[in-house]
Amino acid sequence: MESPKESKYDRNNREGLKGWLNPSRYGWERVSYWLQRLTGVFLLIYFIGHVYETSSLTRGPDAWNAMLELTQTPWGHLFLILVIGTSTFHSANGIRLIFTEAGKGLGKPGRPDYPYDAMSLNYRQKSGIWVALILAAVAMLYGSSVLLGGE
Amino acid sequence: MMKTRNVILHESQIMKIHYITAIAALFVVAVHILMRLIMPYDMSLQYENVVVNYRNIPYALLLESILVLIAIHGFNGLRIILLELRQNKTWENGITIFTITAMIAIIAYGTRTIIMTNQLGLE
Repeated sequence: MESPKESKYDRNNREGLKGWLNPSRYGWERVSYWLQRLTGVFLLIYFIGHVYETSSLTRGPDAWNAMLELTQTPWGHLFLILVIGTSTFHSANGIRLIFTEAGKGLGKPGRPDYPYDAMSLNYRQKSGIWVALILAAVAMLYGSSVLLGGE
Repeated sequence: MMKTRNVILHESQIMKIHYITAIAALFVVAVHILMRLIMPYDMSLQYENVVVNYRNIPYALLLESILVLIAIHGFNGLRIILLELRQNKTWENGITIFTITAMIAIIAYGTRTIIMTNQLGLE
């Protein structure tokens, strides 16, 4: 019930971060929800870093080469491989979510029989999550061959 | 009857922008990555090669579009995550102002790099 102190428009999510991290509600869809957000935040941090990294171009070749010395290392390459994997998962899972928002792949509504599995969380959704994970692994393998294999 | 707040864009419209920027970014980022693969990766990162890329106007425009699309998509994504954690007027307004400011700042900083590098002369 709404307390008198709250405005009409306030809807305080009392669980906050704890609700977000609660492992007791995990299914594949929950893992996918979590990964989509984690990869999104990680990629945003990478994007900001990348914009800063490339700004060294304006300070001439010495500044650019000094920046490359920091990033073009085995650890830098491993970080880039992680970027490749997370961006591939985020993109593929994001496409699944766009289809889902448009109502595609959700199946038809059905009578809620025991054990009350949601009709929308069907094999199409689950296979979409698996496809995103497999594509991310393949992209990371290809990225490794380019970055570590010296192609 | 519940009064609705005056808003410039409804959440449903913002989500459409979120999806459109995502799909558009997929294409332009793919081109950006392919540019690193048309020659050996290490060679593609040499200062002269990178500056030549920036001096190519269509490629500079592609970089600008990546910058704008990903800044909008990324900071709106961050806004959505932060709004899921807590809901009240002060928090929502604060998050909106913070993400729009950060979005404008990163676009301005990246655009400065693109323009300055585009006008660099190679000896």
